[in-house]
Amino acid sequence: MTPGFSYRRAASIKDAVTGISEGNGRILAGGTDLLGCLRDSVFTTNMVVSITGIKELKRIDETPGGGLSIGALATITEISESPVIRERYPALAQAAAEVASPQLRNQGTIGGNLCQKPRCWYYRGEFHCLRKGGDRCYAVAGENHYHCIFGGNGCYIVHPSDTAPALIVYGAEATIAGPAGMRKVSLENFFVPPAKEVTKETVLEAGEIVTAIVLPPPLAGLKSSYRKIRSRQSWDFALAGVALALRTSNGRVTDARIVLSGAAPVPWRLVDAENALIGKVPDPDSAKYTAALSVKDAQPLKHNAYKIPLFKGLIEEEVVNISQA
Amino acid sequence: MNESERNIYYLRGIPVPETPPPGKDPAPWKKTDIVGTSIPRVDAYERVSGTARYPSDIHLPRMLYAAVLRCPHPHAEVMNVDTSAAEGMPGVRAVISGITSDTDFAWWYSKEIKTKIFDPLCRFEGEEVAAVAAETAYQAWDAVRAITVEYKVLPFIAEESKSLDSSSPLLHPNGNTAKTDKYSRGDVGAGFSEADIVLDETYRTECELHMPMELHGCVASWDNDRLTIWESAQGVYSIQSRIAEILGLPLSKVRVIGHYMGGGFGSKLQPGKYTVIAALLAKKTGRPVRLFLTREETFLAVGNRPPATMQLKAGVKKDGTLTALEFSCIATGGAYPANGTGLVDWLVRDLYLCPNVKTETKDVYINAGPSRPFRAPGHPQAAWALEQMMDALAEQIGMDPIELRLKNIPSFSQGREGNPPYTTTGLRECLSEGAKAFGWEQARKYSSGSKENGHVKRGVGVASALWFAGGGNPPSTAVVKLFSDGSVNLNMGASDIGTGTKTVMTMIVSEELGVKPEMVQIEYADTATTQYATPSGGSKTVPTEGPAVRAAALSVKQQLLSFAAADLKTDESSLTLRGDEVISMKDPLVKVKIHDVTGLKKRGVIVGVGYRGPNPERKVVNPFAAQFCEVEVNTMTGEVRIIRFLGCHDSGRVMNRLTYDNQVFGGITMGIGLAMTEARILDRDQTGKMVNRNLHDYKLPTSLDVPKEMKSLPIEKPDDTANTIGAKGLGEPVTIPTAAAVANAVYHAVDVRMMKTPITPLQLCQALEKGGKEGSK
Repeated sequence: MTPGFSYRRAASIKDAVTGISEGNGRILAGGTDLLGCLRDSVFTTNMVVSITGIKELKRIDETPGGGLSIGALATITEISESPVIRERYPALAQAAAEVASPQLRNQGTIGGNLCQKPRCWYYRGEFHCLRKGGDRCYAVAGENHYHCIFGGNGCYIVHPSDTAPALIVYGAEATIAGPAGMRKVSLENFFVPPAKEVTKETVLEAGEIVTAIVLPPPLAGLKSSYRKIRSRQSWDFALAGVALALRTSNGRVTDARIVLSGAAPVPWRLVDAENALIGKVPDPDSAKYTAALSVKDAQPLKHNAYKIPLFKGLIEEEVVNISQA
Repeated sequence: MNESERNIYYLRGIPVPETPPPGKDPAPWKKTDIVGTSIPRVDAYERVSGTARYPSDIHLPRMLYAAVLRCPHPHAEVMNVDTSAAEGMPGVRAVISGITSDTDFAWWYSKEIKTKIFDPLCRFEGEEVAAVAAETAYQAWDAVRAITVEYKVLPFIAEESKSLDSSSPLLHPNGNTAKTDKYSRGDVGAGFSEADIVLDETYRTECELHMPMELHGCVASWDNDRLTIWESAQGVYSIQSRIAEILGLPLSKVRVIGHYMGGGFGSKLQPGKYTVIAALLAKKTGRPVRLFLTREETFLAVGNRPPATMQLKAGVKKDGTLTALEFSCIATGGAYPANGTGLVDWLVRDLYLCPNVKTETKDVYINAGPSRPFRAPGHPQAAWALEQMMDALAEQIGMDPIELRLKNIPSFSQGREGNPPYTTTGLRECLSEGAKAFGWEQARKYSSGSKENGHVKRGVGVASALWFAGGGNPPSTAVVKLFSDGSVNLNMGASDIGTGTKTVMTMIVSEELGVKPEMVQIEYADTATTQYATPSGGSKTVPTEGPAVRAAALSVKQQLLSFAAADLKTDESSLTLRGDEVISMKDPLVKVKIHDVTGLKKRGVIVGVGYRGPNPERKVVNPFAAQFCEVEVNTMTGEVRIIRFLGCHDSGRVMNRLTYDNQVFGGITMGIGLAMTEARILDRDQTGKMVNRNLHDYKLPTSLDVPKEMKSLPIEKPDDTANTIGAKGLGEPVTIPTAAAVANAVYHAVDVRMMKTPITPLQLCQALEKGGKEGSK
């Protein structure tokens, strides 16, 4: 039922890189997304390389400087339950807890959550769309209830990850291994918007894999959270989500990060809204102002204009909540 | 047998009910010892441990696997099918399609229009084009993908509102109207002019899919000219008769077996094309063939609850008297006549007292899968409209919604010719007792009060219902067999579709014969070896099969007493069955052990046959319901959380409280799906294809979407007029008022009407932005 492919279990990161470099290789970690994509013919592969035997990828380690290094194979459950993540990076723990369903969280990995394919039902369905090399995006004139209101350009997917916005508010970096060695990319620059390249979701080049996520030490006094709104209370992607991080000094905001999920083809950072908060007292008025500013550039499609009041309400509610926390 | 062994079989010292003379109906049970108690399902162990064999577990020696090629377009003509590549693939044993000679059999969704098993004109996405049987399922699917079909793609209709446009393509030669039904009583014009308040609103419910846990399908096997089918079905006899008719076989040559089955909700009342295809492939290959659909296929081709757009105009006087109801509905049963508007106006016609009622319903064709009956066909849709309208009327006249409903409770069925009375109606008690148990008055005030506090508002809502059927009816035949040790076989044709039928029937036998439930073994759902039964649906299985089973048990008792009377040389009317003895009620010394009864010894067993008797004449047997819920609405994000639910149901006698409550909670859960999460979405403006054909995008409610607090409060009024067990149906009424109750609670919380299902932040965010109470538009 799935197209024919070879299967190989990599013994090391190097082995995995070599494995997927041959032809059209794909990485198998948790497999929760890969198997669905293969079964639905979203893409094909001639080589599946399992990395589940690579021990060094299964870990959550504190780094000497007080940060955290999370191996790509750490499961979503492990992240949501990790005491150190819950304490120092609560938005990440909250985001992980909101992912999918318990079974999928047990099986799915952080690397996979960041590299997962979009959930657009045209992309996943029997439609030869732009992102699959076709000639049009069906969402433009189609059933675009769940599509983007920011950053759409030819293609109107929303980025499906809950953990990515949370990681971005903490300034996380992805460690990438490839044929040319290791490199690091900040997570904010890890995702590729359709304006740049419509058939790619990440900066990963052929043969490259994410091996770890590195979080810098959290800023002292930083408050952070992730909240997700969806049509169903489990096993559902975000209609709207927001990762928020605020630091105040003498009652006024000194640092702010607002990153949205369910809004754009990539995790969507709202720099203008962040700047607008700086210097303000985080009260209901500034929350309202920030929220209104957040959606001012939204460009809804035919069926997703609801996302504008939804994001507005969500951001306002979360700014108030976090300042009262 | 010593004392302790006897106790294996008999309930000690418990007198069984009186035995009526042969041919007479038994008296209603007065006090019961087994019926009405809470006993776990008789097959719970098998189901939970995995030893229960469902049709999808059947693996026969030399069995082949089948897969179906389906049309990927909503409307297309098959110009050519090239199966040559598929035929040569490894493991492939047969390929059939519209162009092979052995598939020319008629198929119909309803009798008005006949089509073919592989019709060259495909009118919906997923219509069958060809099928393969191969040694493995993978080989079958590979071969299906290797079939090349040349389609002429035709314009399609994806919305019922566009079906009758002059520019729309015709699906059938006589036009796109499948049927129009009209009903009228009194004079609605006069009724509206009498009214103090008249409201006119348009409501919509989206298309909902059945999605039973077990997929649709069967295993078919031929033994010379006899066909045996193991099918996941709601009734084996309905599968048998349809397949025999299609294939031109005598009923005796079609055996259908369907012991365990994993849910149907109406979509498995009849066989599918898959049943015929499996039989044809099995015939062609001379080997058993298994054809179970994939989950994706079941989204397209095995039925749905038709989407309905409903306009309801209602008039009420200030004192709460309803003066007129005018209802029109356009709905679609899909691409073939499939009763897309069946019963959709029934609640408007029958639920509340109203002298002037007019309805018109129109079923139109679109290029989508044909509907099949779905748990209480038409009713949840109508409740969505009518029950929200009742709330709106109550608000306009400043009356509590429950009080308005209580003011308009009929004791007879106005929707039927001659206004026949209901045998019983507990609608009043469902509302009033339910309101008490729910704490309605207090909750209504508290919720309203909470509107001042923050942006998360609470609201409570109610909705009531009746179900058109639920009284059961003949025919049904059941057989009870008493062995010489006192243990019993019950033989019945009905399927247990998960509602607990086997358990309830066991309890009836146990009640009548005084034998312990665990000593009753059931043989069921097999057309070759068990008795006739109509399919389990319509909430009629318990009130249909129960009386037949009771009658069969009574027949056993009558025969036993008659045989014992001969042994004891006394009059059988003086005898009674007690434990393992037949004993004289006049002289306790006159008695005989069951295993010593000569008549039993001569035969080895006593076989009692029971039939379902007729329903009472000129009376209507309907179950009634009211459900209550409390919700919390976040006015900034449009999120709705259901805090608690109460289901208050009059379904006559409660046969088993455990399975009863299961039904109530299951029905509410399904109703929450309609209210909150479920909708089929077609790519209406581009391809007409269904975009959410998987369990992630088509959102069934999860355990987190239903409230922690769910309660069931039976209004138990044994209905002795209805039938000999006093029970009415329950399986469908439990899901009728749910969605409307949620919508009413949302309105109470935030003053915004949910005109459409599902209630999601998609709808609520925009509605909240617009705001505006009813009547102030």
